[in-house]
Amino acid sequence: MSVMSKLKESMVCLTAWRVTLPYPVQAQPVPANFRGRPIFDANKCIGCAGCANNCPAREILVYDVCQEVRIVKYLGRRCTYCGRCADVCPEKAIKMSHEYENGTNAVTDISQKLDIFMSTCQRCGRCFKGSQVLDALKMKGYRFDDLQNDRWVFHSQAYLEGEPTVDDIKIELEG
Amino acid sequence: MDTNLLTMILGGLANVIVVLLVAPFFQGILRKVTARIQSRQGPPIRQPYYDLFKLLGKEDIESGVSPVMQRFATYLSLATILTVGCLVPMGFKAPMNGAGDAILLVYLLTLSGICMLLAGLAAGSTYSLVGISREMMAMLTLEPLFAITIVIGALHTQSFRIDTVFSGAVYQAAGLPVSGIIMLGVMLLSFQAFVQRVPFDMTEAETEIMEGPLMEYSGPKLAIFKYAQMAKLVVFSALFIGLFVPWGSDLIFPFGWILFWVKVFILVLMVTVLAATHARYRIDQAIRYFAALLAVGFVALILASNGF
Amino acid sequence: MDARERLNQLKEKFGHAIVRADQPNDSRLYVYVEPSVLKAVCRYVFRDLDARYVISIGADDRQFSGNFLVFHDFAFDKDKILCSIITPASPDNPKVDCISDIVPAASWAEREISDMFGIEPVGHPYLKRLILPDGWPDGLHPLRKDMDWNHVPKEYDETREFKFGETPAGCTVVPFGPFHPTLDEPAHFRLYVEGEVVRGCEYRGFMVHRGIEKLAETVLSYNDIPMMAERICGICGCVHSVAYVQAVEAGAAIKAPPRAEYMRSIMLEIERLHSHLLWVGLACHLVGFDTLFMQSWRIREPIMWMAEKITGNRKTYGLCLVGGVRWDITPELRTELRALLDKLEAEWQPVVAAVVKDKNIMKRTRDVGVADKKQCKEMGLVGPVARAAGVDIDCRRDHPYAAYDRVDFDVITHDTSDVWGRVVVRAKEVFESIKIIRQCLDKMEPGPLMLEIDGELPVGRIGISSVEAPRGESHHFVITGENNKPRRWRVRAPTYQNLQGVPGMIKDQMIADMTISLGSIDPCFSCTDRLETIDLKSGVTKVWSQDELFKMVRARIK
Repeated sequence: MSVMSKLKESMVCLTAWRVTLPYPVQAQPVPANFRGRPIFDANKCIGCAGCANNCPAREILVYDVCQEVRIVKYLGRRCTYCGRCADVCPEKAIKMSHEYENGTNAVTDISQKLDIFMSTCQRCGRCFKGSQVLDALKMKGYRFDDLQNDRWVFHSQAYLEGEPTVDDIKIELEG
Repeated sequence: MDTNLLTMILGGLANVIVVLLVAPFFQGILRKVTARIQSRQGPPIRQPYYDLFKLLGKEDIESGVSPVMQRFATYLSLATILTVGCLVPMGFKAPMNGAGDAILLVYLLTLSGICMLLAGLAAGSTYSLVGISREMMAMLTLEPLFAITIVIGALHTQSFRIDTVFSGAVYQAAGLPVSGIIMLGVMLLSFQAFVQRVPFDMTEAETEIMEGPLMEYSGPKLAIFKYAQMAKLVVFSALFIGLFVPWGSDLIFPFGWILFWVKVFILVLMVTVLAATHARYRIDQAIRYFAALLAVGFVALILASNGF
Repeated sequence: MDARERLNQLKEKFGHAIVRADQPNDSRLYVYVEPSVLKAVCRYVFRDLDARYVISIGADDRQFSGNFLVFHDFAFDKDKILCSIITPASPDNPKVDCISDIVPAASWAEREISDMFGIEPVGHPYLKRLILPDGWPDGLHPLRKDMDWNHVPKEYDETREFKFGETPAGCTVVPFGPFHPTLDEPAHFRLYVEGEVVRGCEYRGFMVHRGIEKLAETVLSYNDIPMMAERICGICGCVHSVAYVQAVEAGAAIKAPPRAEYMRSIMLEIERLHSHLLWVGLACHLVGFDTLFMQSWRIREPIMWMAEKITGNRKTYGLCLVGGVRWDITPELRTELRALLDKLEAEWQPVVAAVVKDKNIMKRTRDVGVADKKQCKEMGLVGPVARAAGVDIDCRRDHPYAAYDRVDFDVITHDTSDVWGRVVVRAKEVFESIKIIRQCLDKMEPGPLMLEIDGELPVGRIGISSVEAPRGESHHFVITGENNKPRRWRVRAPTYQNLQGVPGMIKDQMIADMTISLGSIDPCFSCTDRLETIDLKSGVTKVWSQDELFKMVRARIK
């Protein structure tokens, strides 16, 4: 009978009376392996650029000022909080924090810049081996991402050889 | 004569003011109880007041085909409902008793329905036209039910005066008031449609035709329409109570008055629970339903005219 | 019959026109045919051998074999085979015979091949633009290898319009979308109505086409793509990432470790649970029954919390990599998950029991949005839409992947072919998913989560994978490639096929039923549109460009 169904359906509410949570008055706790904003620890970072190579959104830029100094810059604009950077980091220098209230109108609040002093390998200058062959295939040697304009630059080898570099986020409309 | 006129006017004003003050409160109760049935917190009971203030303070944008007609339809809808409020007894005798009779009441109610049609036509968008075609079809089958009730009351008491019709006239047949009981059942089954709530709110089905006739209304015009809808809930409850459950209204003030509002509260709760537990009917299904009720109503009318 | 026997059948009929056949295992078959017999082969496979049409794919192989390639994927569900009929198209002025007249379900796929590669399907009954915007210049095809991924054509013409068909006699046009409360993502359905009854419909969508297939070939790499794949859809993202890595693994002939397969199955079923509970609530909301909407979503919420505990996020699990998974279920989480499933079952059973007997909901959903068995075959409809019509297909049983070959479950079908059937199918599949998760938790053995991959993945191999999303079969096609990225990646979401069935479903139904019919296929698409107005008096239609819209809106507000 339809009336019985309707009565049963309205009684469903009695199993759980009021479930509305009082957010944002009360902050909601998150589970232990919640993936919030990544925090980079400059003290642990060895400048391997594994995080930059494995970021699917290309949001971590790397720039070599000279043989000894490398800048690693996390932009955070398109970051999807996937946690690949934290997985790949050999020194566990990246932690996916529990911060999820990341809204801000100044992107500089989120971006993090690390100046890393690199010690050089005697033979080739510097080395990094990825844990998986698929990750190792992304080695790029010297890095010259465009920090002025916050742009990822592909094929830094091409940069050295003077080939035109491929632009990223900013697409200039001509005419 | 002068004091009579004065009491009439003051009484009418009192009714109007009470309706205006109290209508959003009942709407708030409706929303709160619906929320609790849905296991959520729901807005505070004062929320409809806040909503109306907010809408009234917004810019009055002119969209739609005929803005003049839109404004006219808006004001007319609230005005007709409030006029009905003046005529109906709400806890004490109907203030404007001599000013009109039950036939006027029926016409005013039809007029308030027509305001919705005017509103949709004046807006002129595809979805509002679809909405008013639904409204027209529904009105044709629905309004007669109310008229039949009044006529039955009038037949029993041989008078169209509002104070006689609205003191349980439907029950005043000789012996068992069969027609009265039938009409009680019919009106209970169709009350939801008169106040335009689920399952009979297909004219403004949000998910299907995007608010239908009210599509081009925003800001103050929308506030007045919403106000009219809230007032409709209270006024129709008052009509229902006056017709079918009038006992206790002749207690001295304030007891009769309080009892009246308790009855309205119970009726609003019934509307809420029904609205929360049903899916919306399609227009053709709803019309079949109303047509069946209309047939039953005609049977009751025939019984009444033979003294039952 | 296994793949070898099917191949022999084809060889018997077509002999030397079959240039080459690859058969990596019993359940995959790749048949290269000459262009002249393509139509005959497809007709034989679709009609005589009664295979199900899956998708047609184009690929730019000019660097390697010198030609374009066109693939037509079919499925022999009873034999558990996925097969692909492949034919080349010449590099200058490529043309292939169209198969849409024999296989109506191929209509969109061939339009897409024509838009993206410029391969003309000769004889297509409705060759209008599908993916590319109307102003896109002719002759420029995005998925060709010689076009850059971030090229913006200067010759874009903003004023060019999409030519809709003629309005049938006696009908007015009701535009449905792009802004409509029912649709979460905008799309444009042009309904031809007579009073309240829909007589016809034309669809224009794909306006927020994100170009992920181009990105995958150029900018991303093998392990980046799963992160993007799970953002294809906001509800069934895990399905796409699993299907992609399975396709790559199939092409490279590697296999993820058993524990990873169990993890994938568990997360897929958790996704199916939350998706079906969401949909039942949404369907109730569409018919105006908000109480059941709120209650279903309340019952669903603990599943989202559980997913967050296991993977770190409610929806974008970030689960898969090529060769394994990233997250594990600890013993504490296992106990919690079991308790959650018990509670879910206990709460959902009374709701289903109440809904199944509810005449009010039945009245709104019986004989609405009907898609019978014949339509399912012709238009290639999949998922609960097909199962509600009595078509017994389910990729978990027909093309087993992950751990589904090691668990028992029933495939729920119904026989009413309408929205009501889909409600019942989805409500009951919740219990099957709970059963599967319980079995996986029992059978999981400790072990590695990730395969150790030595060396690069082989190049130029084809891999296909069909995964049962909550909406139907999600089919991914990968050609492995150089530089750690695929050469071609094609995603076919189930809604791609189901949307093609919508015009048939809503014909001769009322406008009020349009929304619930569309909602019943559980559409999962992202697009947006321009605004179209139809002057009812004069019958003139006008498509407004962005500039005109701005001017009009600003002029109105005084």
